[in-house]
Amino acid sequence: MIDALAAEWLKIRTLRSTLIVLVVLAVFVGLMALLAVYAATAWDAMSPEQRSRSAVSDLAPLTEWVASLAMAVLGVLTITGEYGTGMIRTTFAAMPARSVVLTAKAGVVAAVSYVSGLAAVVATFAVSRLIIGDRPIPGQSAEPFADRLPLFLAMALSITMFALIGLFLGTLTRSAAGSIAILVAVWYLIPIVVNHLPAPWHERIGSLVPSALTGQLAGTGNPDSVYGSLLSPPVALAVMAAYVAVPYGLAALRVTRRDA
Amino acid sequence: MWCVIEVSELTKRYGSAVAVDRLTFHVKPGQVTGFLGPNGAGKSTTMRVVLGLDRPTSGRVLVNGRRYAEMRRPMREVGALLDAGAVHGGRTALDHLRWLARSNGIGSDRVVSLLELVGLAGVARKRIRTFSLGMKQRLGIAAALLGDPGVLLFDEPVNGLDPDGVRWIRELMRGLAAEGRTVLLSSHLMSEMERTADHLVIIGRGRLIADTSVGELVGRFQRGVLVRSPRAGELADLLKARGATVVTEPDGRLTVSGLDAGEIGDLAAGRGIPVHEVTSLTTSLEDTYMRLTAGSAAHASSPERTAR
Repeated sequence: MIDALAAEWLKIRTLRSTLIVLVVLAVFVGLMALLAVYAATAWDAMSPEQRSRSAVSDLAPLTEWVASLAMAVLGVLTITGEYGTGMIRTTFAAMPARSVVLTAKAGVVAAVSYVSGLAAVVATFAVSRLIIGDRPIPGQSAEPFADRLPLFLAMALSITMFALIGLFLGTLTRSAAGSIAILVAVWYLIPIVVNHLPAPWHERIGSLVPSALTGQLAGTGNPDSVYGSLLSPPVALAVMAAYVAVPYGLAALRVTRRDA
Repeated sequence: MWCVIEVSELTKRYGSAVAVDRLTFHVKPGQVTGFLGPNGAGKSTTMRVVLGLDRPTSGRVLVNGRRYAEMRRPMREVGALLDAGAVHGGRTALDHLRWLARSNGIGSDRVVSLLELVGLAGVARKRIRTFSLGMKQRLGIAAALLGDPGVLLFDEPVNGLDPDGVRWIRELMRGLAAEGRTVLLSSHLMSEMERTADHLVIIGRGRLIADTSVGELVGRFQRGVLVRSPRAGELADLLKARGATVVTEPDGRLTVSGLDAGEIGDLAAGRGIPVHEVTSLTTSLEDTYMRLTAGSAAHASSPERTAR
């Protein structure tokens, strides 16, 4: 397992696609900083009456949302890049224990996505706090960092969940395009569709979609969003684990049963 | 004799297509075994099963007495080059070999020395995407040799190589076998094997056609010895008396089978019969191979076959 982890770590950090995904994420954090600058300057020019009618949404969840997709794509490419080139056969000839390879890949994808996801949301928070300062813009939280940290940790966990779903979808479909299409549906389309379900189902199912779990896990709920918030933090964590464990089981079964 | 690779009653079906059909053969150490057959004969499938990449439908393959899939660090026992293109083009040659080495607990000093051995040291930090097919073959050979394995499998390794590269591979294979390693080398060209292999396993349509040494195969299709002598009748009687089959050709020459050219010459000399010509009628290995595999090519171009 140590050998497999070390080998997969070498693989993921010697791929240009890893670098590209991380750069995309960093650029997005930069965009969030620009948005904060825009909000701050606009705020300064506003009359008190305009100020009472304006609001700027919290920026860290936006970064979380984008990082989820970016890391899911990284997860997909980690495996479909091997199936697409045929390198998977080189990998399995070098490491015949295929479920160990899959687990090692999951380990490095999880580490990369957790660390970079956490860095991205914390950077977004820090930069926007620095730029907005003590302006009481509605929608901007004034809580200190320590109080917000649990939410950021939950965000990083959710980003990791998406990355692993991407990895296992890629393993199951062996196709980057197919996997990314499914991911975009899970990440963007399904929550919108669910939100249009009649009550109480939009709330019930809306609490179970993957992106709804962060707020429920952190105990903040999901105010002003398409997501429901019926789950307690432990249940949200269990659902999150299931979103990883079920695809993992299917992918492990598939990878060991089928010819490479 | 002790065998390193044992293929026993191996059958592999893909849906209804039978790729390998009850194939049994053994590969011994210290020699180059040529694995021959027309395209689609099942060579690559067999090699994939040896490496545990494809699961046999029935039968089994053992390497050093074990299933490949049970080996924890297989590259230290078995090195293989199946498809030189099966690499990620975005990685450098150095990084590709580094992860492979790490996966089997092989030191990175091996990576450097192998890049030098295969002549890729100068392009070690270039992306594999920019490599020619010949360079990818060399990289694949470096990967196969990384763990200093006793067993080596190469699937069509000279494809895409220039004449210098072909000779380099041939000498490398011979050298590896001379060190006592087991080398299984597949090809669809007999001409390649003639100078490289000691032993031949020939398959067609997934079935074993021949499992023989190169010398035996030549002998099997020996068509006899052509002899010209002014005293042909007398010589014919002499040779028949020694158990040879003699046919008198219309031009008076004799076609002799059952005795080789040296024996015929000695017998003639013993009786003082002058001999003007003694020619061994050998069939080239290429012809022999074509004859053996005739009808078993997966995509034959004979008219009867296409008419059906």
